[in-house]
Amino acid sequence: MAILPHHKYPLRSLEHVPTCHHPSWSRARVTCSATTTTSTKPMSNPDQLIIEPRLDRLVTTPSLLVTPTSSPSTSSRNTSPLLNDPNWLSTWSHRAWVATGCTTVLISLAKSMVAAANSHIWLEPMLAGYIGYILSDLGSGVYHWGIDNYGDASTPIFGSQIEAFQGHHKWPWIITRRQFANNLHALARAITFVVLPIDILCDDPTLQGFVGVCSGCIMFSQQFHAWAHGTKSKLPPPVVALQEAGVLVSRMQHSAHHRQPYNNNYCIVSGIWNEFLDKQKVFEALEMVLFFKLGVRPRSWCEPISDWTEETETPSPVH
Amino acid sequence: MATLTLPKHSLPSLLPSQTPRTPFSQSLSFVSKSSQSQFFGLTFSFSSNLPIPSSTPAKTSIVAKVNKGQVPPSFTLKDQDGKTVSLSKFKGKPVVVYFYPADETPGCTKQACAFRDSYEKFKKAGAEVVGISGDDTSSHKAFAKKYKLPYTLLSDEGNKVRKEWGVPSDLFGTLPGRQTYVLDKKGEVQLVYNNQFQPEKHIDETLKLLQSL
Repeated sequence: MAILPHHKYPLRSLEHVPTCHHPSWSRARVTCSATTTTSTKPMSNPDQLIIEPRLDRLVTTPSLLVTPTSSPSTSSRNTSPLLNDPNWLSTWSHRAWVATGCTTVLISLAKSMVAAANSHIWLEPMLAGYIGYILSDLGSGVYHWGIDNYGDASTPIFGSQIEAFQGHHKWPWIITRRQFANNLHALARAITFVVLPIDILCDDPTLQGFVGVCSGCIMFSQQFHAWAHGTKSKLPPPVVALQEAGVLVSRMQHSAHHRQPYNNNYCIVSGIWNEFLDKQKVFEALEMVLFFKLGVRPRSWCEPISDWTEETETPSPVH
Repeated sequence: MATLTLPKHSLPSLLPSQTPRTPFSQSLSFVSKSSQSQFFGLTFSFSSNLPIPSSTPAKTSIVAKVNKGQVPPSFTLKDQDGKTVSLSKFKGKPVVVYFYPADETPGCTKQACAFRDSYEKFKKAGAEVVGISGDDTSSHKAFAKKYKLPYTLLSDEGNKVRKEWGVPSDLFGTLPGRQTYVLDKKGEVQLVYNNQFQPEKHIDETLKLLQSL
């Protein structure tokens, strides 16, 4: 695959544009490359799709594939996954984070209900909760879009997530094999850190209603995502009903995200925002702005997108 | 009379409200090109070379961008092979001049390929197609080669021509605009079409106009 050089739009000519701060690294020429970023080999092009200076990774990447008893060829993460990888099991650390995440969410919801009861108000907290549900879908889409398109395994804080999302595109079915806490623990950890201070500091029923529902939906979005990869016959009937009602993201809608050109249907809570965001080309516009302002190309612009193309040689387990 | 087609596809919450761009039939085109700023389609030019005598050293004048019915300012730019190309080269036949944000971006690729796929129709109408962006000649060369573009791509480094022609930016100035001009045999603009996020429509609109010329 040829590497295509590209020149960033010269910003100095936009004299009438409010000036933006551009760190000097942003003027580096960025190219598309077919090299996979899930490999353990060092990146061949240090400028490739990186929006932050390289630092040592702060988070250990949970391995998607490698096990201690793997075959001789599996030192690289590009190896096809085993059908029952121990890395998909939940550990006590995973369970602990999910427990703390759930606790903070439940405290938020409980505080909202108690305060609402004491103040004799119900409409505002419930409405706030509904808005939280709606906005959590939007948030999931924006985050998903960012993680899918920018950075790589070495990006600070987000590196492991980015690598996991890229692996997910290569082997989408793995998410259905992960145990519950294994799947949710990363989000649960983030929710714990964000919601705990709000739990402590905030007593307003409406705000807590919003926070409780929004954070709960975000934390469980990975479960909704896993269900969206399930098959109808294997899913619990209530889940299927919620998917078909549009309350949870549907299998059909999400499968569109896993097809070329991999640049749509990013939202994974209810998917209610997907049609609007795709029709209005919101993410395309954001990608163009980031390209012209920071010189970074999103992964979805590179073809063929070998990092995302589902690996079909590996037989997915029969559901 | 200027007819500026507003973008049909806009983001209601992200894009600024599209106000009709007021045409100026008498444009002060002899004002020297110095610093300019765009405000709702009117170009304010700060210049000290006004023909009107004035006691102050610098005056603010309003210069309209290129509108329908006008002859746009000429340019001389390098094409993808490094050859110098002037607008005057195309006099005597219709020419489609399309300004696009950048090579190798999804919208621009779609647009370029759409022009390529309809190129025979443009040739049949006797028209030439010229694409202009701020990318350099090597970028244009690679872009044209990759997508087998049969027409000229010009390198407007520094975006001077884009500014002279008054191509508006999008999204609060963060994106170079996507605007296409159709010039008739006399070199007069007969269509100005702007649409950032539906690039293929530029081909439909320009062909429609060419068929009526």
